[in-house]
Amino acid sequence: MSIIDLQNITKSYRTGFSEFCALKGINLQLERRDMLAIIGSSGSGKSTLMNIMGLLDYCSTGNYFLLGEDVSRLAEKKLAVTRNKKMGFVFQSFFLLPRLNVLQNVMLPLFYREESLTLSHQKALEILKKVGMEKFIDHKPNQLSGGQQQRVAIARALVGDPEVIFADEPTGSLDSKTGREIMDLFLKLNHDEGRTIVVVTHDKEVSHLCKRVITLKDGLIVCD
Amino acid sequence: MRLINHIREGWFNLLSSKLRSILALLGILVGTASVVAMVSAGKLATNEALKQFKTLGTDLLAFSVNDASEQDSIVSKINNLTLPDALNLKKINKMIINVAPYAQLYYSTQFNGHPLNGSVLGVTEDFADIVHIRLASGRFISIMDGYEFFCVIGDKVNEQIKKLTLSDAIGQHIQIGKNIFTIVGVANPWPENSFVYADINYSVMIPILASISLSQYASISNIILRLDPKADIELIQKNITNYINQKVQNKRLFFRSAKELIARMSKQSQILTIFLGLIGSISLLVGGIGVMNIMLVSVVERRREIGIRLAVGAKRSDIWALFLVEAVMLSLLGGTLGITVGIFIGYVMALFSHWEFTLFLMPPLLGFTVSVAVGVFFGYYPAYKASQLDPIEALRSE
Ligand SMILES: Nc1ncnc2c1ncn2[C@@H]1O[C@H](COP(=O)(O)OP(=O)(O)O)[C@@H](O)[C@H]1O
Ligand SMILES: [Mg+2]
Repeated sequence: MSIIDLQNITKSYRTGFSEFCALKGINLQLERRDMLAIIGSSGSGKSTLMNIMGLLDYCSTGNYFLLGEDVSRLAEKKLAVTRNKKMGFVFQSFFLLPRLNVLQNVMLPLFYREESLTLSHQKALEILKKVGMEKFIDHKPNQLSGGQQQRVAIARALVGDPEVIFADEPTGSLDSKTGREIMDLFLKLNHDEGRTIVVVTHDKEVSHLCKRVITLKDGLIVCD
Repeated sequence: MRLINHIREGWFNLLSSKLRSILALLGILVGTASVVAMVSAGKLATNEALKQFKTLGTDLLAFSVNDASEQDSIVSKINNLTLPDALNLKKINKMIINVAPYAQLYYSTQFNGHPLNGSVLGVTEDFADIVHIRLASGRFISIMDGYEFFCVIGDKVNEQIKKLTLSDAIGQHIQIGKNIFTIVGVANPWPENSFVYADINYSVMIPILASISLSQYASISNIILRLDPKADIELIQKNITNYINQKVQNKRLFFRSAKELIARMSKQSQILTIFLGLIGSISLLVGGIGVMNIMLVSVVERRREIGIRLAVGAKRSDIWALFLVEAVMLSLLGGTLGITVGIFIGYVMALFSHWEFTLFLMPPLLGFTVSVAVGVFFGYYPAYKASQLDPIEALRSE
């Protein structure tokens, strides 16, 4: 069974009187241990697709099966729980909470899961060790470099042991060397732990590292 | 556990924008302080006004006997209430426990040729008991005194005499009009009481019969009665009116009952307290708007944070709780400080008005409840707004 099975997904935005179709019928299966790159020019609908896959947004038509269950019309409250349990997010500009320290940032998903404090603490430390950030647990995000912040963000995505990790242009704000380090981390997680990872990028070099690459153009998959 | 975390996070957030939090806090503080201070002041004033009644007891009924028309006031005497008539009031209703008629005499008083500041009252034995006169020395006027020229002096009169002579006041003489009276008793200081028209401290009390015989104008014009606590005051007033009208003609009675006066005063000061509380509430309202303003700004500033929280799995209710807890904490903190300040202001007011200060439970409780309510009320909308943000839009915002 595929982790994610998208069937004829469309997404249209209403802007004023006209309707704009960002996705025009996407069919996509994502298997366990996949490392998928979504590429395409700016405005081709990559982020829109990822937001729908990440249950941050509803699709307009079509069906979305997550682990065999149709989640395309799920109530918002259940979406939140599913996001919390099954998904991890990594963003281009890291999106760490500036007031919390590194450890607290990583613990955040567990907080919304009502995990006990000691257990969350322990899990977060473990994951931070894995991404090589265990020395920085009481630093605030603004005391870290971009690459370090992205590592913390990856730790936050990993801490809840999700089925799939979505990364929207994770190297977009980093120089090429640091970007490469981050991609290596993703590859390692995919290879060593069998993590399922979806990376949105417009960087050909990044996509070359992935097992599977799909190309979006004007809301359609043109190349798989 | 989740609530504790919300509280901890709220605390962090309030600390991280200190100046703004303090300003919002100040609004609530001033508001709560004014509610607490105003209501406390109202209650303290009420207490003070009622205190003098409570010392005398609440079962007193007084009435004055006045001429119905002005013209024949000088004819008098024949048409005046006699002492036996007045004392017989005790028999007309068994709820009347004690009767104390008294007469006021407008004669000058002198001691050894020096004028005294003191007015003359003709009283009976029971007068002391009813208006709570305690003697420092000697004895009070008694029935046995009849028409004798004996007198009991109030505390302030005694003080004046002390300045004029070295020896004890008892046994000395006071001149009232042209007559010489012997001092037989000295009263203790008497707490002033608006229920009794005369000030005992500045009084020279003589036997009531002596006072009537002294002046053709003196008459029993005031009577104070002590009633049974269960007495029906209206019925007794009716009985008295009937009785007096049988004895004398053309008189009008004016009643004052302690219970009625207390009820009226309580009602008035209750209205005053509510009114003061409302005035205080206006500033609390302004404080609440301040909190709402700060929270709305905070929601806009923290849109991205809200987006991140939603992305990692926060429910809308979590976001809502996060902001509501912050607003309530803000007003709770302001409220608690405000209560302290308000009580202090009440204390200072009592100090300057020479009132007795009592720490009432109601105003602080009221202040606390109202400030929390303000926090919930004015925090609700910003928190709701925060919780309704779209995760993608929130993430996209700067
Ligand atoms: N909320 C929105 N309202 C209207 N149009 C939108 C909205 N979000 C995205 N779009 C449009 O959808 C298209 C795809 O956007 P996006 O998925 O962000 O592209 P990208 O591939 O660059 O990530 C763009 O043309 C964008 O303008
Ligand atoms: Mg994009």
